Amino acid sequence: MTTLSFSLAPKAIYQLHDALMCLSKFDDSVAIEAEFDLLRLSVLNSTKTAYSAFAFEADSFFESYSFGVAMGGSSSRTTNPNKFSCQVLIKALVSAFKGRTSGRDKDTSVERCEVELQESPEDVECRLIIRMICGLGVIKLYKLAYESIYVQHATFDRSKSTNTWCIDPKYLKEITDHFGPSAEQLDVFSDHGKVVFTSFTTKISDGKEILRQPVHTSVAIDKTDFDYYLAEDRLHVVIYLKDFKAAIAHADTVDSMITARFTRPCRPLQFAYEFEGVRAEYTLMTRGEAPMDGTPSSSRAVAPQLSARQTPAPVQASQRNTAPDTRQMPPPPRSRSVRPLTGSTRASQSNAESGSHAESHAESHTEAHTESQRPPQPSMEFDSLFVPADDDRQWDVPNEEDEAPAEDELGWDATGEQTSMGPGLRDTEPGLAETSHEEEEMRIPPTQRMSQLHGLGLFD
Amino acid sequence: MRFRTQIANASTFAKLTASLSSLGKTCWMRLEEGFIRFTIIPDQGTQVWAQLPVDAIFEESTYILESNTGYINLEVSVDVLHRALRSAVAAKLSHIRLTKKGNLPLLALTIRTTSWSNAPNALGLPPDTSTTTTTTTTTPTTATNPPTPTTQPAPRPPRTRNAVEGLHQPRCRDPDVHIMLPSLLQLKSISERYTKLATESKTMAAGATTSTSTSASGPKLEISANMHGSLKLAIVGDAFSISTVWSDLLNPSLDHTGLDQEAVERLPSERMRGVAADDEKGWAKVRVDGKDWSKVLSVGRLNPRVIASFIHETALVLYVFLPGSWNDEESCLTYYINSYSI
Repeated sequence: MTTLSFSLAPKAIYQLHDALMCLSKFDDSVAIEAEFDLLRLSVLNSTKTAYSAFAFEADSFFESYSFGVAMGGSSSRTTNPNKFSCQVLIKALVSAFKGRTSGRDKDTSVERCEVELQESPEDVECRLIIRMICGLGVIKLYKLAYESIYVQHATFDRSKSTNTWCIDPKYLKEITDHFGPSAEQLDVFSDHGKVVFTSFTTKISDGKEILRQPVHTSVAIDKTDFDYYLAEDRLHVVIYLKDFKAAIAHADTVDSMITARFTRPCRPLQFAYEFEGVRAEYTLMTRGEAPMDGTPSSSRAVAPQLSARQTPAPVQASQRNTAPDTRQMPPPPRSRSVRPLTGSTRASQSNAESGSHAESHAESHTEAHTESQRPPQPSMEFDSLFVPADDDRQWDVPNEEDEAPAEDELGWDATGEQTSMGPGLRDTEPGLAETSHEEEEMRIPPTQRMSQLHGLGLFD
Repeated sequence: MRFRTQIANASTFAKLTASLSSLGKTCWMRLEEGFIRFTIIPDQGTQVWAQLPVDAIFEESTYILESNTGYINLEVSVDVLHRALRSAVAAKLSHIRLTKKGNLPLLALTIRTTSWSNAPNALGLPPDTSTTTTTTTTTPTTATNPPTPTTQPAPRPPRTRNAVEGLHQPRCRDPDVHIMLPSLLQLKSISERYTKLATESKTMAAGATTSTSTSASGPKLEISANMHGSLKLAIVGDAFSISTVWSDLLNPSLDHTGLDQEAVERLPSERMRGVAADDEKGWAKVRVDGKDWSKVLSVGRLNPRVIASFIHETALVLYVFLPGSWNDEESCLTYYINSYSI
């Protein structure tokens, strides 16, 4: 059983409302996570290209905050027993935490807000209870249904970000005012002391409809307009304009300098700012082109997608610039190309078995393999937002030997585990580590172990 | 083909495009030495023919036009152009030029606004810095005030000659009544109020008097005027009949040069002037679509003087003179509004 209760002063209510309005621009429902020292609201959008999170400090943001967990009680819900997480429709929360505009009648304006979680075995219903205590003894009571979920976060290692800039959001807002209504994406780069923001769409327009061609709008501002600008020149980073607007609009309302951090195109970019006990973060997947990239159009053409930290998306098959420290010989792919080399009867047997079982276990078979057999990404187009922590390092030192291993890696079904498990040869099938017990029971055993391959001269 | 100029009067240009964009999506723009013409001919509704001297919106000294024929015809998405020009209103300096991306002709607007911070930019910009997008950031800056260039190319292809040569201004007979319109803002708000009333009243299908009108189903306003300074705006429905009358308006005398006295006297407007003020026969009446009329009146943002020429039961022609160009026939927007029959 989890206990959670907190109360908010009117000002905090408005701030919470503003945060919710901002979050609502990403998706319909918000994940609420309560920990001992903070409450976090986060939204990961449906295409997993943008993640927005607000962390409210228990000490400074709330009037009072108490959170408790009975050990073992709700551990089935989350992996971390010191945490409670659930998901609520943003619309429902917004209607409870109305903004400033609703305070027309001064007598009955909100004086305090108390929120309590009702989640005990005795209760018939589990509800999030919001009590708005207004003037003249008016109490507005909201009981919101919530859904227990496992919250996914986009990770972003700030220490590894090589590019950063900081600016007053009102400037950025002025910039977006120039953009047309049909603009979808935003390209940011700097050159010659100027930072250029270009809005564009990739919508395919009919050649005949020449007047419908999308409008490009570039706004160039001086680097001196930034608080500081420490980013590589001619590095094109492309994000969705909608996400950008949501972030700067909120940063502008709280009047806080906004900081952007990123490493390179096709890696996540994070906007962050802090105000009065609230930390806001927006982690956005980027597209774009590196300065040396000769084929900019290819990287722009494909939509990036985020995936969860817990279940990393396939790292692209033909990743090139793997740095020596993280590089490893790839485990043998479970693809046909290896089998003839091994010539093991057992391998072929198990293959045959898997074939015969395939029918009876058709469903489980596919299920077990979805983790590892997700279609690899076409190539070089994007990476997940949920990049492994050490990932940035592999881009630091360009390695001339990269070309050759890249080819070898082509056959590998590139799951995220490859990088997340650290360097060195592994005697496990990728994907196994991620599957639950249920899946493992249904699973068809791997066709071959790494250990069997020794002595064949290929991986010694 | 070459066209580039500095925009001298961005706010007028922006307001002009705003008024035009309410009437049609695409606009034909004819650039000539000395004149710029804007033409909107929508499938249905009011046509606009606007002619402006170059210096009304552009800086004449920077106006560069090179073409074999002496003019350039462009088809422009007018709301996109308007959108781009809005950025230019507060700008320090804006340029417009015809450019090309592949085979796609574009109008590129480069807008330079004052930078927020006043830090000196000692280095300045190298001339003609090209970015990888379709835009061009411009010319060296001054050392003290770094500008903010904005570039918005609005796609616009030069028209094929045949299509454009076929365009001609509507011809109509001499007007019965011409009168200077009162404040467009007032006229617009009353017109819109009437239109709203008629729209809300479900019984009224087609405005004026009956529901048998063959044309569009919007409510129709009756506008009439005489040569004695009166203008009447009316709407009649099954359940109501309302009208507003302005009086003591000006009936300007038109330019009659080239006509002898006899011919002038034979003009319908002079005949109408002879009819007594209280005589019903002295009124010329047209019926216009309420919504279309409201769009036409959006030109009021330019704060113009408007002379309305009534051709009884046929058409209404508005001559819109921009401020500062009064009696200057060179700068005139002409709106042709057809009258609906009952």
